[in-house]
Amino acid sequence: MPAAEVLTARTRPRPRTAAGHGTKARVQGLLLAVPAVLLVAFVVVGGSAMVAAQSLGLMPLVGRPELSTAAYTAHGGDLLVGVGLSLAIAGASTVLACLIGFAAALIMMQGRWCGKLVAAMSSLSIPVPHIVGAATAGLLLADSGLLARVFGAAERWPDVVGGQWWLAVIFEYAWKESAFVGLVVAGTLATRSVDYEETAALLGAGRLGRLRHVLLPLSLPALIISGTIAFIYSFGSYEVAWLLGRPYPEPLPVMALRLYNSVTLTARPEAAAVAVVTAVVSLGAALVALACLRKIPLWR
Amino acid sequence: MRQGLDLQGLSKSFKGSPVPALEEFSLSLAPGSCTAVLGPSGSGKSTLLRTVAGLEIPDRGSVLLDGQDLAAVRPERRGMAMVFQRPLLFPHLNVLDNVAFAATIRGVPRRRARADAEAFLDLVQMEGTGKRVVSDLSGGQQQRVAIARGLAARPEVLLLDEPFSALDPELRSAMHELLAQVREKLNPTILMVTHDRDEAAAVADHLAVISEGKLLQHSTVQEMYTRPASLQVSRLMGGTNEIPGTVRDGVHYSALGAHALPGNHQWPEGPATMVIRQERIILLDEHSPGLPAVVTGIRNRGPRKLVTMEAAGVNLHAEATASPALATGDAVRIQLPTPELAVVGGTSEHRSAPLTSPDWKVLA
Amino acid sequence: MAITLPPGLNQQTLPKDAAQSGLTRSRAGGRILRSATAGALAVWFVLPLVPLGLWVFADRWSYPAPLPQDWGLQNVDSALSRGAATAFAGSLGLGLVVSAVATPLGVLAARSLAFHPSRWSAPVSALLFAPLALPAFVAVFGLNVLLVRLQVPSYAGVVLVLTVYALPYTTYVMRLAYAAHDIGFDEEACTLGATQGQVFLRVQFPLIAPALARAAFLAFLVGWSDYLVTLLIGGGSLVTVPLLVASAASGAGNDGIVAVLSVMALVPPLGLLLGLTGRRRRGGWS
Repeated sequence: MPAAEVLTARTRPRPRTAAGHGTKARVQGLLLAVPAVLLVAFVVVGGSAMVAAQSLGLMPLVGRPELSTAAYTAHGGDLLVGVGLSLAIAGASTVLACLIGFAAALIMMQGRWCGKLVAAMSSLSIPVPHIVGAATAGLLLADSGLLARVFGAAERWPDVVGGQWWLAVIFEYAWKESAFVGLVVAGTLATRSVDYEETAALLGAGRLGRLRHVLLPLSLPALIISGTIAFIYSFGSYEVAWLLGRPYPEPLPVMALRLYNSVTLTARPEAAAVAVVTAVVSLGAALVALACLRKIPLWR
Repeated sequence: MRQGLDLQGLSKSFKGSPVPALEEFSLSLAPGSCTAVLGPSGSGKSTLLRTVAGLEIPDRGSVLLDGQDLAAVRPERRGMAMVFQRPLLFPHLNVLDNVAFAATIRGVPRRRARADAEAFLDLVQMEGTGKRVVSDLSGGQQQRVAIARGLAARPEVLLLDEPFSALDPELRSAMHELLAQVREKLNPTILMVTHDRDEAAAVADHLAVISEGKLLQHSTVQEMYTRPASLQVSRLMGGTNEIPGTVRDGVHYSALGAHALPGNHQWPEGPATMVIRQERIILLDEHSPGLPAVVTGIRNRGPRKLVTMEAAGVNLHAEATASPALATGDAVRIQLPTPELAVVGGTSEHRSAPLTSPDWKVLA
Repeated sequence: MAITLPPGLNQQTLPKDAAQSGLTRSRAGGRILRSATAGALAVWFVLPLVPLGLWVFADRWSYPAPLPQDWGLQNVDSALSRGAATAFAGSLGLGLVVSAVATPLGVLAARSLAFHPSRWSAPVSALLFAPLALPAFVAVFGLNVLLVRLQVPSYAGVVLVLTVYALPYTTYVMRLAYAAHDIGFDEEACTLGATQGQVFLRVQFPLIAPALARAAFLAFLVGWSDYLVTLLIGGGSLVTVPLLVASAASGAGNDGIVAVLSVMALVPPLGLLLGLTGRRRRGGWS
């Protein structure tokens, strides 16, 4: 890092006023973020714009650009079913992840051996790539998987993988994201919750009272944020549903990828349309989460 | 029926710490009294409070409230409220709901809980702030609200863990005033931890001096100053004059001569160190009656001066008003009034060595 | 998004020792309940990894035997013959490159946000966190056309997209570290006579080093774990372990190979994680 950087670094992080800080320094400060901003803008804004243009028929592989919503209506029914299915899978796995993750965070907060054990085990599953998680969930839950063997279930083993209820897919997301939620919530609780719990106890709050009136409200922002990130991830992720799901109906990402790789000429705009719908729902989820956060006094 | 708080033989050690945080600590607090626990940092003051509150489990000993042993009673059922050094107002609740917390927990309907909380906000002179976000308040205001929140739980015992030490001096005296009003109106038994002698004297009617987990003395504030139980207490209370000698028939004999001790007390015979507060030594000019002494140093203490003297080989300290123009080397006379004298058992062991001054020559 | 990562992964998240507190003192019933919950959670987090451990060494494990019949290393050989070594190198390279690009960019952005607040700070951080709200395949669908037209090499394209998906994490971690960085340390060092270079080397850097390691690790994970971006933009020219896992797992009868490849995908990040945690424990980092 250049020496000038160190120099500017020295006068902070006190809230600064324009008086102590010239325009030149302000511009320099802003310039630091430019490389990151350019890359993100190119990928996020550029990517979204291009995909929207493709979906509206403005960038056909061959032929003349022509504004049309045909790509959205081509698989109208399947698209809606896909939205519903993806919402259901993401919703179910997020709810599970939040419940299990919050419970794990509470146990981690207790310290002792059980807290340490749960913390260690949950961090173990964090660096597992989702495709590996899906593969190993298959080895565990398939009808020839470990559980079926151990329980000697043979023909009676339910269709967990590729079954009607997408159980293996939900399981994989819930497994990975519960560790994520748990560690994020434990991270926010760790700093001060012990003091607040003690204060609450001395004001007469029992275990349940502390859980409801102190720990839950204190973790709510972290729960909402990590839950939303987990939701958007499972909503827009391809490989788990592709590997552990069934061929039909398709969740949005699986449908989008199939159309994208299809040889039909009209398929590209249709894939783009599915992608746009996925993005819009994801953005909607993020906005809903932000609106919820704004209502919480703790979040400022 | 109120019998007060009784601590019996509390002992507590922490893993990884060689010295116990509390050792055979016993203390009785009358209902409605205010006791300040005074001691250097690390002396076990906070552990004491946390043990009373039930946040720490003592290795031995018991806490009795109105005759009932609290060993099996969880912190939330002990009827004690504690105010910490940091206000610890719940950040997810506004000011009013913080004060109403105890009532909410007990299932009191919200409207009534809030009305009740308003009354306590009034008591701490924070009326009208109920709707505000906690982080909008200043440190002093937050501490007021924390006290209101503790009081609104209707505690029989109020535990204060250095609640004012983070506040500036002016705010601090305002809080002392507030505490006096609270005692007048609600009369809880108060156990307060502090390392500030002046604060302890300003707020409490009883002092308990603690060092290394042991109770050294428990008495009224006045007695703590005039009748320290040991040299250690005398020093912890800021006493600096220690005159070694022997007691015979109520008279202390030393290099300074014979001094009759106050007659209202049975003084043990034998070797003993006489102590007298530096504020109580009377300093006179060299033609007055009294013991001759020579001034060896003068240090300014704001409006007063701390005068160091030597009399018959004994170092003495006296606080003088600024008026007499004293200088180092002046001869003076001093008087040690009998009612201000006290002796503590044993000869004076050497004070812990003072900090050696740095070797200034390295700077040359 | 490429993966979800808790920013404080290898941070000390546990309270010092609540074991002796009167609050957590439990009656027998509570203790049993808590131990049972902790045990169940531990099983929940570990169980999915158990089949891997068995399949890796299972030369023969026909259904419905609950345990492998023959143990051995045949699966490792088969995996290697499928190009596991090349894929491993590919993954490692991708993880390192993404980490090498996303970490310094995150540091710069975090410095800007932490130390130069302006009216642009809010939109800048909103933009930097936007990848968390945009599924990766959407961005890739749109970008692929652009990247082809601009003749960006596919490897660079993969790195570009993964860097963008790693930036929220690196920026966030460094932003937190800078927010906690007390400028008083720098000032103290200056008054003690340190030059600006020395302040950076001996004060600032050691103070942010743990966060820097965390940020670099998270960025590495983004590159290491990715499947979809590598598949779509790389178009098969770049083979990584996740790609091999996917192709093996989508076929039938490859359980042993899938297990070996999965373990290959797990060992480096877990090793790094343990290394980071271990260094902190030994007191190397605060």
